[in-house]
Amino acid sequence: MKPFLVPPFAAAFILLAACGGDSTGPAAVDTTGLKPASCPGINLGPKPAPLTLPQTTPAAMRVLGFGTEPDRYTAEIAVRSPTAYTTTWGVRRVQGNKVNIWDVSGNTPTLVDSVIVTGANTTGDVAVSDDGKLLVVATEFAPGSIAVYDLTNPRKPALLSRFTSDQTAAGVHTAEIGRVNGKLYAFLAVDIGSSGAARLVTVDLSNPSVPVMVNVKVTGNPYVHDTFVRDGLLFVALWNDGMQIWDIGGCGTGASPEAPKILGTVKTVNGEVHNVWWYHDASGSKRYAFVGEEGAGIIGTSSRGDIHVVDITDPAQPKEVAFYHVDGAGTHNFSVDEANGVLYAAYYNGGVRAIDVRGDLGTCTAAQQDVNTTLNLTRCNLRLMGRELAVGLLDQNRQVYVWGVQYLGGNVYASDMVNGIWKLAAAK
Amino acid sequence: MAQAVPLATRADPTATRSALTEGYLTQPIVMAHAWYGPLQAIGTLNLEGLTLQRGELTTGGYGEGYVDRRHPHAYVHELLIGAGGTAAGFGASLFAGRGFAPFGSDDPMVRPFEKYPVNHHLAQVLERVVIVGAVRRGPVIAEVGTFNGDEPTGPGSVPKFSRVGDSWASRLTLLPLAGVELSASVARVTSPEIPQGHGLDQRKGSLVARYAYASRKSSRYALVEWEQTGERDRGVLITKLQSVLAEGAYCRAGTSVAARIERTDRPEEEPLLDPFRTPRPPPDLSNLGESRWTTLTIALAAPATRAWFVTGQPFVEVARLAVAPGDPAGIFSSELRYGTNRMWMFSAGVRLWAGMMHGRMGRYGVAEPDAGMHMPMGTPKHAAESDTMPGMPGMPGMTHSVPMASSPSRFSLISSCGP
Repeated sequence: MKPFLVPPFAAAFILLAACGGDSTGPAAVDTTGLKPASCPGINLGPKPAPLTLPQTTPAAMRVLGFGTEPDRYTAEIAVRSPTAYTTTWGVRRVQGNKVNIWDVSGNTPTLVDSVIVTGANTTGDVAVSDDGKLLVVATEFAPGSIAVYDLTNPRKPALLSRFTSDQTAAGVHTAEIGRVNGKLYAFLAVDIGSSGAARLVTVDLSNPSVPVMVNVKVTGNPYVHDTFVRDGLLFVALWNDGMQIWDIGGCGTGASPEAPKILGTVKTVNGEVHNVWWYHDASGSKRYAFVGEEGAGIIGTSSRGDIHVVDITDPAQPKEVAFYHVDGAGTHNFSVDEANGVLYAAYYNGGVRAIDVRGDLGTCTAAQQDVNTTLNLTRCNLRLMGRELAVGLLDQNRQVYVWGVQYLGGNVYASDMVNGIWKLAAAK
Repeated sequence: MAQAVPLATRADPTATRSALTEGYLTQPIVMAHAWYGPLQAIGTLNLEGLTLQRGELTTGGYGEGYVDRRHPHAYVHELLIGAGGTAAGFGASLFAGRGFAPFGSDDPMVRPFEKYPVNHHLAQVLERVVIVGAVRRGPVIAEVGTFNGDEPTGPGSVPKFSRVGDSWASRLTLLPLAGVELSASVARVTSPEIPQGHGLDQRKGSLVARYAYASRKSSRYALVEWEQTGERDRGVLITKLQSVLAEGAYCRAGTSVAARIERTDRPEEEPLLDPFRTPRPPPDLSNLGESRWTTLTIALAAPATRAWFVTGQPFVEVARLAVAPGDPAGIFSSELRYGTNRMWMFSAGVRLWAGMMHGRMGRYGVAEPDAGMHMPMGTPKHAAESDTMPGMPGMPGMTHSVPMASSPSRFSLISSCGP
């Protein structure tokens, strides 16, 4: 899952359009910003406005086209239009050591080239830097690494460097990249391996030809699976230890990627925290993080795990306030159309799910609540709140198992382990 | 006692989609029993970590990060100490140490085939730090044990002592007739594949019927078992693996023939670059589905011969395997993995041993059917009548030729049934 953000002017435009077309749209917003005491460098913006939606039947997302990958299982996706990169996983006819490069300018993604990552068993994650200059691919298993490519020609990535160390030996499960105070870093979630401990490894990519490891933290219970970096905060998915928020320079208290400071932790219901998205909505509110729970399943057939909405108004004491559940399917990676307030979630055998995440997600009627007496926790059920907008790919009369999604420019791109890459029209 | 099996195996095809022929020194073990007053110590040193690091070609086999190869077992296969006694018609024993949980059937190493069945990880729970209590009255044996759920991660791995007590097993055995044994067992194993915990938990069940008979000139053996393992994530059933196995052996004048048929579900996992290995611990969602293996194995063994203090017994085994999609099949495809759904395995080797053979493996104290209520704790089991056979080189003669209360030792079952 990668943060591909829409430009601010587009956000403002779409916000206005959204407000104009929704008779039950957000009420007047509280424009008062919030700088939490635990992180004064971040303004979390106004409290999200109340929003009441009618219960409707989710629409089917319109499929524009798809590109097939029959020899390998497809894994993660990263798109920088008009090019998409999909990685590969495990062993089908051949091992998942390839990154496919697709032309997605038309409705049907067209495979234009590929890159073989030598020594990789699985290339489970891929990211494009915010300036579009670098492509970073994570490799599993031993020896785990990241491969850093130059994207001067986006259709012909050129290998700049391959970073590996004894700290990544077990395998790099995900590699998220983000800029902190102007400097580009990669955050590597490393498998447990024979050491018996997962870890998060931070690599300075200022000189992408010579990546430098700047921090290692043994963490995760038992896994650390993914991260989300934005505005100097790092959200870390620690499986049964929940989601943790690290200050890596955003709070203005002296922390940095080299010397991070833990702000707070939340253990979401059921644990198995796999991925995170810190949502900045069109009104400027930054109060929610979406947490993906990855339960056990069988690839191609079943999956489990909900989306959990965490209120981070106090980053030192984040709290789960809502959730989204699909019977018989579980979520994987996210992408959010922040301008329109739509969360797109890869849902494995459940296809692609589009959820309306505008406004206040933590306030709902009693009928829309789920009360967990064991945890003394009341949460809003997003489905009962009428926020399930659309479902994608379940109308294709074929087995799908969607690993990743990315919203970009009015389209949603989905990587499907079984089939390859799909291009769909956005739900809004 | 020491034993080893020089072995050659040809698997055609196997996970490389081609035929492989390999040689090993497999099952190199040293076993010892010791007694001191009421105390008994049991030790089995397994040296497969030195001779079988890449694993033994066993198409269909899986477990502990190996697939289509049998993994090397832990150096410390068994190391237990215990005590027991009888009173008022009851026998009781308590053992603790590293060994077998009271679940399922005997370890395949003490059964009439060199190749392990596919269901090894469904039918036995071994190499754990166990505390096993057993109570026996007449033909009924009840066992209960607690142990650490984590399975070994390698031959030299140390169990997670902090997890002792997170798993348990219980077995009820009935000995209705001489030589006949019926048992039912259940187990709950917490996160066997992730030592740190939080992996899939297992709920296991097993039914076993076993028959063994030996006379001065021949022996017969049969076993039928059913196993089921449910893998659960936070209590929710994710996969259900079942196995049905029947095997039998007949030995006369030193020559034995044995046959086994098995149908077992195998969980399929993401393989590594080495197609015979899977990541341990698994990184997350890597379950490809289930495959269903049907295997027919025939084994023939010639009469044993002895040179100096070592006894050798040549044998051959042939296995025909068929693999089909399980339920659910997920994305596993035998055509993709093997290029076919029918395979052969051919094996030839020589069982070598010196010293008194170990008996059955997987039960302790009064839970050993051979022990009988008449056998006071602390008595060497190999002094018991039922555990020795006539004419076995290096072994004392048998003192009776009637159906035994339970089984004779393994090699008497296989072929050492007298010239």
